[in-house]
Amino acid sequence: MSESRLQFECFGGRVEIRAGGDGAAAALAAARERLFDAHRRLSRFDPGSELSRLNRDPRTEVPASPLLRQLVEAIAMAGELSGGLVDGTLLREIERAGYADSLRRADRGAPIPSAPASPAGASARAEWTALAVDAEAGTVIRPPGVKIDGGGLAKGLLADLVGADLARFDSFVVDCCGDLRLGGRAGAERRVLVDDPGGGGPLAELRLRGGGVATSGISRRSWTGPDGRPAHQIIDPGRGGPAFTGVVQSTAVAPSSLLAEVRAKAALLAGPEGAVAWLPDGGVLVLDGGEVVPVPTPAELPQAVGA
Amino acid sequence: MDGIEKREKVREARRRLSAQRNRAGRLRGRVVAASLVCFALLWGVVFVQMATGNDPVLSEKAALAASRTKARHAAAAQTQRQAVEPELEVRSESDGDAEREVEAQPEAEAQAEPEVQAETESQAEPEVEAQPEAEVELEPVTTSQS
Repeated sequence: MSESRLQFECFGGRVEIRAGGDGAAAALAAARERLFDAHRRLSRFDPGSELSRLNRDPRTEVPASPLLRQLVEAIAMAGELSGGLVDGTLLREIERAGYADSLRRADRGAPIPSAPASPAGASARAEWTALAVDAEAGTVIRPPGVKIDGGGLAKGLLADLVGADLARFDSFVVDCCGDLRLGGRAGAERRVLVDDPGGGGPLAELRLRGGGVATSGISRRSWTGPDGRPAHQIIDPGRGGPAFTGVVQSTAVAPSSLLAEVRAKAALLAGPEGAVAWLPDGGVLVLDGGEVVPVPTPAELPQAVGA
Repeated sequence: MDGIEKREKVREARRRLSAQRNRAGRLRGRVVAASLVCFALLWGVVFVQMATGNDPVLSEKAALAASRTKARHAAAAQTQRQAVEPELEVRSESDGDAEREVEAQPEAEAQAEPEVQAETESQAEPEVEAQPEAEVELEPVTTSQS
């Protein structure tokens, strides 16, 4: 089965969308415009974006587009599901760590930052609990001063939204800088290769007919912080700085890309001991010693006799 | 028993033997005649059926062959359509012609059915039945740190 495809730069990285079936080329062009529009609305590096205006707005209740409201709901959902581990209200902490300006995702093989490891914890402030959406009024409600960052959650959300647009085709895949949503009416199986944070060949291969896959890691957007220590974009909510948990990359499988993003980030922040519990539909972990830990899907687990 | 009685018994025995032979000959003649009549009647029925064009055996074969040929062409047309789908978007003006060509083939070949009937049944079917079982291969995708 052949597919039409589009590749372009968006969200600070490479986006690829594919679809197979009659009229796929036109649908992909429309999907690309939707993603560009989302990038303009949700970029925190553009002072004129809707997200930046929301973060500056002194009012408690701010009118917001449906897309921004969906992002705010996604951030609240992520905090709820992860017990605060995945916190989309840590923009100040990210900027303090040195990620204030747009930082294009590093090429493959970038050095993996390292530091003494310990599991991350939830923030005592838990500002994500104050987020709310009034769908009828078309507004976002949050205490002034709470700043939100779409980050990987926005990519997962957009992969799902565009995936819904392409669901009528025989096959499709939406790759938002590594966050995937795939499926199609034909129900055909697709191989998903897990990237090596060290720059080598694929670490593992998953086989899926539909759903979401996301990978979270500390190597592809990393730098040396203001204090001279290695830094990256995954913030430990409890400490307010880059997280070093012993897991350097986590890949999660889930029914949706957004949920996969939440699981992948929660698994990375939980550390090697607690990571597997965040991957109920399977995934792959890479530990800071380079060890690759495949987490089987429920179907791959050995079944008890008589079960 | 004197000589006269002995000769009389011999004559009687010959007469009975002759009567038996006559009965067997009559029976044989009747059986042959009945067989000839049945044979003629049977062929008469066949002749009438053939003459009126209602041969049931030939009708079933023709219908079976036609349905199998149509199935083969429908499957071939479907396969051809799937193979050219990506190109259909680009060549929108030629889509109609391609469709018409695909649809016209079964009609054209239906006229030649009597000649290709044996080949259709013995050779084409396995190809048509094997195709749907093939798993569709999709190009892999890579997940990486977002």
